[in-house]
Amino acid sequence: MSRSITYNSSPLLASPTPVWRSKFIVAFMALAFAALIGRAVYIQVIANAFFLMKGEVRFMRTLALPANRGRILDRNGVVLASSIPVPSIWAVPDEVNRNPLMLKKLARLLDMPVAELNKKLENEDKSFVWLKRQVDESVAKQIDALKMKGIHQRKEYKRQYPDGEASAHVVGFTSVEDKGQEGMELAFNKDLGGRDGSRRVIKDRMGQVVEDVGEQIAPIDGQDLQLSIDSKVQFFAFQTIKEAVLQHKAKAGSVVVLDVQTGEVLALANYPSFKPDRRKNLSGEQLRNRALTDSFEPGSTMKPFVIALALNSGRVTPQTPIQTAPGRLTIGSATISDSHAHGVLSVTEVIQKSSNIGTAKIALQMPAREMWEMYSNVGFGQKPQVPFPGAVSGRLRPYKSWRPIEQATMSYGYGVSVSLMQLAHAYTIFGRDGDLVPLSMLKVTQPVQGRPVLQSKSAHDVRRMLHLVTGPGGTAPKAQTMGYSVGGKTGTAHKQEGRGYAGKKYRGVFAGLAPIDAPRIAVAVMIDEPSNGQYYGGDVAAPVFSQTVQQTLRVLGVAPDMSVVPQVVTDAVEESF
Amino acid sequence: MMRLNLFLLLLVVVSALYLVNVQYESRQLYAELDRARAQAHKLEVDTERLQLEKRAQATSARIEMLARTRLQMRPVNPAITVYVAHTASASQ
Repeated sequence: MSRSITYNSSPLLASPTPVWRSKFIVAFMALAFAALIGRAVYIQVIANAFFLMKGEVRFMRTLALPANRGRILDRNGVVLASSIPVPSIWAVPDEVNRNPLMLKKLARLLDMPVAELNKKLENEDKSFVWLKRQVDESVAKQIDALKMKGIHQRKEYKRQYPDGEASAHVVGFTSVEDKGQEGMELAFNKDLGGRDGSRRVIKDRMGQVVEDVGEQIAPIDGQDLQLSIDSKVQFFAFQTIKEAVLQHKAKAGSVVVLDVQTGEVLALANYPSFKPDRRKNLSGEQLRNRALTDSFEPGSTMKPFVIALALNSGRVTPQTPIQTAPGRLTIGSATISDSHAHGVLSVTEVIQKSSNIGTAKIALQMPAREMWEMYSNVGFGQKPQVPFPGAVSGRLRPYKSWRPIEQATMSYGYGVSVSLMQLAHAYTIFGRDGDLVPLSMLKVTQPVQGRPVLQSKSAHDVRRMLHLVTGPGGTAPKAQTMGYSVGGKTGTAHKQEGRGYAGKKYRGVFAGLAPIDAPRIAVAVMIDEPSNGQYYGGDVAAPVFSQTVQQTLRVLGVAPDMSVVPQVVTDAVEESF
Repeated sequence: MMRLNLFLLLLVVVSALYLVNVQYESRQLYAELDRARAQAHKLEVDTERLQLEKRAQATSARIEMLARTRLQMRPVNPAITVYVAHTASASQ
């Protein structure tokens, strides 16, 4: 080895690199730092909105402040419907522990088969699945105690109806989202439903609210709704109609109670009914508010209006004799008849014995236009002025198309159709001094103004006649009630089927007033297809009227106007239909 | 000069720490207030629920059923009622 290494002149140290390269590196790094600073400034100062937002979502929350749906009260402030929060169970399918034992327990608490529960949890992509909405508080606590992962609860408002089926048709019900679906709930949905509010808050890691951010929007609760219904009267009416429908094996029945002085609806009950908070397997039959949505031929209950018109126009007086023999009357090609032939009857007796021929003869003295005006003045053929979904107007054909035979049949209630509510409302004109006050489903606080239809003398005369109907020799002695004088008119109509009349199907109707000298209430009762032997309005509907009047007047605090001795029910005279 | 600066620095640090503390306390108190509000709301809801339950226990249907079955009562009628007139002197 001859070659030696001199370390102080290492060729490695004698750098051949040009100086600019090192300067370039320094400059490059400086530039890189500048870029970083620039970026930092950009993020922190100029365009910080995005990151601020990202930060906020980690601790800011918007909480919904749900508004309470207004309550529905009866005229005395008794709650008919109210919303309370109840727990609903939901799940994040992804997180749920599939331990079969736990799932079985959960399914039992939720009252559903395990297979159904599994089906609900099947869809794992979803991050939200309702398991069961609106469960009982106790069930929710037990589910909570299971401490299952991925199972959560949320409070939802549920509507409660303490009176159940008794007032179901009036009050109606809401959907699971607390929106009105039927009855008053639907009609006044806007007023009852409030407006939800919200607030933005900062939450700490424990989920506690530590600060409010910005303005909060306060929830506006829905308004309470006070109906004209009296829950006690409503209950008695429902109870009575239910018993009558069951006793007479009828298809259905309805009863309407109106306050004659104010036009308020005190009770409106139908049977069959339903429980508004348990609405599984409901049929249309149960849901139908027959008193408003069904129109029918009212039969003889129409007669008082024709007589009232004749009295009012001075064509007859209560004593005017009318020849009804021999019990049949031929008009054109058709013949009408009474079920019992009577001889000469006074106008009063025509009503009392419910003679078709007598009424038809009186009706035929009058021009069709006047009769039509009378009918439409008392509200027939017009939609009742109540805010009820599905209220029908009934059928009243224009008088120009009436043939004489039709005018005759219409005078005793065939060829026109009305709803029970319209009938009860129309009867209030006899209870008042011949004027018609507007109907109201809401409590009336101001004095009401009636629209005159009859002179007060005619109304008074008809009232006397109606009273005789319920007396000895009338068609409805069963309408009598202990302690109170009553008056009313029976009706028994063949039911229409298709184009003709069904031979053996009837409808028993009774409409009346009590106490008869100074009427407080008007009551109309309809029993559809009674099939237990009896079907006359005086036999099936009048007893319902009697009991309803008895209970209603007692609840209203009206003192009896008759001396109280046990009354002997006199024998009924069969009415014509 | 130097000493004054140090003193001011100390003051700033103390004030900053105090601010943090106050902020923390205010949040604690706010959380408590919020809990109290939630409690108040819950009590209101409970009142409503209990009132409804009371009403549900006192419906006409239930009263009638209990009166008939358990207490063997019967409906009143005017024949078994004594009516008294309400006059101003009577109420005195």
